Amino acid sequence: MRKRSLPLALLKLLGVLVIAAWSLVPIVLIVMSSFKADRDIFSVASRFKFEPTLVNYIQLWSRWGDFFTGLWNSFLVTTGATVLAVSVSLLAGYAYSRHASKALQASAFFLIFIRLIPPIVITLPLFPVVNWLKLNDTHFILILLYATFFVSLGTIVMRTFIDQIPRELDESAMIDGASRFQIIRRVIFPLAAQGMLAVAVFVIVYAWNEFLFAFIFTTTKAKTAPLVVAEMIGAVEGVEWGVLFAASAIQLLPVLAFVILMQKHLVAGLTAGAVKG
Amino acid sequence: MSQRSALPAFALVSPVQLMVGGIIFLPAIYVFWLSLNQSSFGQAATYVGLANYAKVLSDPYFWRALVNTVIVVAVVVHVELLLGLLMALFFASGIPFRALMLAVVLAPYAVSEVSAVVMWRYLFEPEVGMMSQLLATIGLPPIEWSVNPSHGLLMVCLLSIWLHLPFSFVILYAARLAIPGELYEAGSMDGATGWRAFRRITLPLLMPALLIAALFRYIFAFRLFSEVWLMTGGGPARTTEVMAVYLYLEAFRYNSFGAAAATGWLLVLASLLLAVVYLRGLYREMFGKHA
Repeated sequence: MRKRSLPLALLKLLGVLVIAAWSLVPIVLIVMSSFKADRDIFSVASRFKFEPTLVNYIQLWSRWGDFFTGLWNSFLVTTGATVLAVSVSLLAGYAYSRHASKALQASAFFLIFIRLIPPIVITLPLFPVVNWLKLNDTHFILILLYATFFVSLGTIVMRTFIDQIPRELDESAMIDGASRFQIIRRVIFPLAAQGMLAVAVFVIVYAWNEFLFAFIFTTTKAKTAPLVVAEMIGAVEGVEWGVLFAASAIQLLPVLAFVILMQKHLVAGLTAGAVKG
Repeated sequence: MSQRSALPAFALVSPVQLMVGGIIFLPAIYVFWLSLNQSSFGQAATYVGLANYAKVLSDPYFWRALVNTVIVVAVVVHVELLLGLLMALFFASGIPFRALMLAVVLAPYAVSEVSAVVMWRYLFEPEVGMMSQLLATIGLPPIEWSVNPSHGLLMVCLLSIWLHLPFSFVILYAARLAIPGELYEAGSMDGATGWRAFRRITLPLLMPALLIAALFRYIFAFRLFSEVWLMTGGGPARTTEVMAVYLYLEAFRYNSFGAAAATGWLLVLASLLLAVVYLRGLYREMFGKHA
């Protein structure tokens, strides 16, 4: 089976290079170009060789204060949505893993069914209600929406992970007189950390990058970073590419580093969510 | 631990159920009611039966959006699955820098739609973009995504495939790694190598994962909004709208909530139709064969 020949090895190396180029060229290009002066951005001669400059970042700082407020809003919303989604998914995942009844199963089916409803559809009735409750343009409404759209996947992922924790552990804790919440806190919580990380990765990437809900439900106070970047794309006719690249790079790099750091959990979560749900 | 403690179990699932019930399910039902009424933001509704559906279905822009959506979904999902499958098999065959390459392939998963639009617009900026120049060098016509509707949709497809390939790849790669190596050893003794091994062993065993990945991607590609909105805005002259963009414009620009609600329910129905096979299988698995 295993013939190791030079042409094959070279062919594989070529394949690796093509895949790497497809994935990375767009990312590397805008990060690199964010350090270019205006005249170098579209110049062929200075595509890879140029005098790096921070002028775009300085421009961004002095003229788009909105963007940095947006980053802070994104951070708050992402943190809130993650904490909320992970905690309620943990509770529900535990219940679905340890209990079985017709009604519970029906409610699990409902969670999966709900994922079929496109987010844009529910913006229609929510828009007037959110306005009426004076919740538009608040962090709270985004936190609630982002968490809600991930709790069904989160619950499924948590159940898959908690299924792997032996039941004998909670039973012996119960015999020792531990209450249900003590069992979750002392037994399940430490052992389900992997699953919670997997759910957290999903929610963090989604909440940090989300556009549609932020576009519809925020205007100024709770405006997130992607929304400000989108405004920069649409700003007048001439796009200021340098400043736009600086903003995109800042928006992108933290979550990219995070995904690469967490890739093991991301893969585990994706497979758990897709196989069971 | 069994039936007698069903009540606390319900207490544990209630936060999740309240959230999806209150924020997704009830509003979705309310959208159905909205779709049967004539209303706009801030006005009382009057019952009009199926008039909104009739209005939407006789709107040429709706049909344009529907056709665009179907084309984009078909291209994106199938190209993505094919590329994902090829990459999964390539990775499984043993490649240099495998661990590093896994991180590289996952990278676009972290990128927001907004930043992805910035990247691809930069690459394909008319005349000066790197890809535009590359196309000119090898003698191909330029991609005029801002004036030519089919080019605009092509950019949307490229962008979506780039953003979502990591998902399809991970699902298929995990499924490929789960196939035991002994099967291939046994197969090779019976003369099944290369293409025959792929047809007889790999493909049948990957089928469930392929179907799951396809289903998820169909449903999620169908709600495509941001990529189109940020790339073309639906233009020029409403030619590159997709369903979600059409819905958004009807509701928030033309103030026609009834028509938007009808479009919304058509979207839900389309998703349901796509998923019905999968849900039936799942339902049987959960409630036993007799259901």
